[in-house]
Amino acid sequence: MIARFKASLRGLLARRRIDAEILDELQDHLEREIEAHRLRGVPLEEARRLAVRDLGGLAQTIESTRDVRATWFDTFWRDLKYGARLLRRSPRFTITALTVLVLGIGSTTAIFSVAYAVLVRPLPYPEADRLMFVAEHQGSGIAWPNFDDWRQRAQSFDGFASSLADAVFVTGGPLPQRLDSRSVTVNFFGVLGATPFRGRLFDQSDARPDAVSTAVVSHTFSMQQFGSASAATGQTVSLNRRSYTVIGVLPPGFRYMTPAHVYLLLEPQVAANYRGMQSRGNRTGLYAVGRLKPRVDVTSARAEMQNLAAALALEYPETNKGTGVYVVPLADRVVRDMAATLTVLAGAVALLLLIACVNLASLLLNRSASRAHEFAVRAAIGGSRWSLIRQLLVEHALLVATGGVLGAVAGAAILSGLIRVAPPDTPRLDEIRLDFVVLSCATLFSCACAFLFGVLPALKASGAGGHETVLRSGRGSTRQNSLLRRSLLIGEVAIATVLLCGSGLMVQTIIRLSRVDPGFEPHNLQTVMFSLAGPAWPDPKKQAFFAEVVERLRGLPGVDNAAITYSLPILGSNWWNWFTIAGRPVPPGATMMDLPSAGMVPVSATYFETLKIPLIKGRSFERTDTPDSQPVAIINASLVKLYFPGEDPIGKQIRLAGSRPTEGYGPWRTIVGIVGDVKQHGIDQDMPQQIFMPVVQQTRTTVFAVARTRGTISSSAIETAIRDLDRSVPVFNDRTVEQVMKEAGSRRRVAAIVLSVFAGAAVLLAAIGLYGIVAQSVSERRQEIGVRMALGAPQDQILRLFLRHGLIVVVIGIGAGIAGAVAAGQSLASLVFGVTVTDPVTLGTVAALLTTVTLLACYIPARSATRLDPVAALRSE
Amino acid sequence: MNQTQLLQGTLDLLVLRILELGPNHGWGISSRLQQMSQERLKTSQGSLYPALHRLEMRGEVKSEMTASENNRRARVYTITRAGRKRLNKETETWQEFALSMRRILGERG
Repeated sequence: MIARFKASLRGLLARRRIDAEILDELQDHLEREIEAHRLRGVPLEEARRLAVRDLGGLAQTIESTRDVRATWFDTFWRDLKYGARLLRRSPRFTITALTVLVLGIGSTTAIFSVAYAVLVRPLPYPEADRLMFVAEHQGSGIAWPNFDDWRQRAQSFDGFASSLADAVFVTGGPLPQRLDSRSVTVNFFGVLGATPFRGRLFDQSDARPDAVSTAVVSHTFSMQQFGSASAATGQTVSLNRRSYTVIGVLPPGFRYMTPAHVYLLLEPQVAANYRGMQSRGNRTGLYAVGRLKPRVDVTSARAEMQNLAAALALEYPETNKGTGVYVVPLADRVVRDMAATLTVLAGAVALLLLIACVNLASLLLNRSASRAHEFAVRAAIGGSRWSLIRQLLVEHALLVATGGVLGAVAGAAILSGLIRVAPPDTPRLDEIRLDFVVLSCATLFSCACAFLFGVLPALKASGAGGHETVLRSGRGSTRQNSLLRRSLLIGEVAIATVLLCGSGLMVQTIIRLSRVDPGFEPHNLQTVMFSLAGPAWPDPKKQAFFAEVVERLRGLPGVDNAAITYSLPILGSNWWNWFTIAGRPVPPGATMMDLPSAGMVPVSATYFETLKIPLIKGRSFERTDTPDSQPVAIINASLVKLYFPGEDPIGKQIRLAGSRPTEGYGPWRTIVGIVGDVKQHGIDQDMPQQIFMPVVQQTRTTVFAVARTRGTISSSAIETAIRDLDRSVPVFNDRTVEQVMKEAGSRRRVAAIVLSVFAGAAVLLAAIGLYGIVAQSVSERRQEIGVRMALGAPQDQILRLFLRHGLIVVVIGIGAGIAGAVAAGQSLASLVFGVTVTDPVTLGTVAALLTTVTLLACYIPARSATRLDPVAALRSE
Repeated sequence: MNQTQLLQGTLDLLVLRILELGPNHGWGISSRLQQMSQERLKTSQGSLYPALHRLEMRGEVKSEMTASENNRRARVYTITRAGRKRLNKETETWQEFALSMRRILGERG
């Protein structure tokens, strides 16, 4: 064993010396043999011949002796060097193949890394697959009393917690700072299985009515506020002008749904009836999370919850009738609508990788066809089959490995680009890394492809029919290969068609969305939010401050108009409520669901002017609408259509509903005007029914200030103007309405960009492939062309001869592609807007465009055939 | 002349047997092989050298480059202890095998 090891070590170190020694040894043998023959009287020439013959050839013996000595490393190194030399010698092949590989591996790795991080990788909680997200019907927020009942009655869960996304103002510093926070039940962290990084998390003692107010903070917050994670525990922070004791710090990167820096207890908020949480009719942004007991699955948990919800609907028909419960695995809820986008992107990139591999296959087939001669010769002079296979394997592995490394680099670049353009609310964006598993898979896929199309055909060539290939002097590809290549090309054209259809649909979607009339003028609108919370801001003071803000902003240079509003178009309705109409009594036994409902928007008098929302009838709000004047409301066209069809609503009265259908909330309001509809919930959504009321009559705490600017003004001007009025007011979320719209559209934009880029690449690859196959066929049939031309065949007949090749591929490919696009279109259904996924215009345009491009790719080489000089063509052998 | 193709795997054994008699170089082994078998065994000299090197890799022979007469360099092989062990073991196996074969085939004549 040791001797063997030593020998192979020596072999490794002194390969050259050993080669020389083998040569010496064999020369010595030959000389002795020749001498022996000479002694028997054989002439020198003959003696030499016999000696070499008996040895079985000098070169072969050296080779086979060296092979005994050679370690696997020697062989590998030799094959590697040879492979590298071959690849260097055909730069066009090498560069094309590498480009194809890098494109394929790089983009696949990048997109699948995103898809993996967002869709597949388990959530960062222990046994995350047992966590269920629970909401009321259709995923809406839960009324606290319902949550409370569910928690007490449900048997499916080991723990059942709830939380709501919130925001707090860190006061006590020079400027109040707004931070994302989350209000959670005591058991929330326990259900998730979170552990503290420092200190402790909430327990029952924190929820006692006499307990001091406590907070758990994020690692980032602790670092920023206290300089280190360990310094935070025991400190006091002032939040919303109350002081809280920090009891613990969460591990870095801890996250539940939306990022939050401060976690406060929900129970004290419920006890104080904050947000009216004690009311069963009040569905806030509260959502529950439960940890399934062992051996309980989603289906049975859902069934139990549905029974509970049905029981509650019987017990509390006024608020709960017609509602239900929504139970999904937490992971599904986290990715929500991002799943559609990512599935489309992943599908597109898989298709691109497929095209890349098809092109690689086509390239390799071509190459192995042109090398069939080399292999046949090598096999004929006694190169062993194994050494041929080994050589080919090493050569292709070298190619794919280089492609893999470069592809990883490209993938990292594409990934960082993707993260930059990704919608900022992409779930788990911060968890995305270039995924090694995905990279390996893409590389392995390419390897398999290289082996299938590079090594196997060559093997066949070196095998049984080898000598035939030698005789044919290896010209061109075999018929079988060209059939295979043609099928591959059909696939390529089909895939390009699918991608192009997808990109066409997305581009149309974006164009149509840009043409949608949002109902207001979205350009040159600057907005910030501010909050007047706490006992320092009684309603009259708030109203005075709102008026001051409007006046101050209108006085700014570059600002034409300004307004205060509780909800901003595109961003959604911050307040949705049921209401009753005077003269239409609520029938006995009616539930909340039977009442009319609308988005409620308290606004300043200047709101409609500022946003340029047209007044259809009646009057706008005036300065004369004060807290003490007659309560008024303005409704929009949708509400008229829905609840006052064929009536004149002006002068009619409405009243908000409280927590029961028969219970009113606030005063009866007289409708004084009708305004146009706006895209309140997003440019791609229906226009909801809305009720506007003067903010002086319906005060809110946190509102938007919005300014109509002339051109662009400094983004901080508005923020500064409000801060100058009162330094203690937290001002935040400074942006333009156009930015808001852009963010809302970013998902579709990413899909459109990626699909278009991929479609472009796919069309290009398919065109190159077609060009290649026609050009090759022209060069193989040069002689035939010469004969035909010499016999007087007209040019267009020859042109047609070669165009026919391409045409078949194009027609079948596009046909299959359109069918594929229609089938795959369903995955785009949630992303398209204003077009159907089988839009005939898009499909027709794509087919026409592709036909033109691909026929052009065939026409160029076919045309070159007609330009051949018949004499030269005939001599081309 | 009745020549017999060398059975697979027997070349190693023959080479070891020759080297048991004393160190030798490749050509010497090859000619001894023919003498000893009275020219009846035909071996390709071409397969001798790979076999020798294989034996050396397995540690059953060792070799040394020597300056031979006429200023040529020759490799001289010597059997090692491991080589002798294998020779003994395989000779025994062979003889048993040959004996069995003769017993069976001998019954015919």
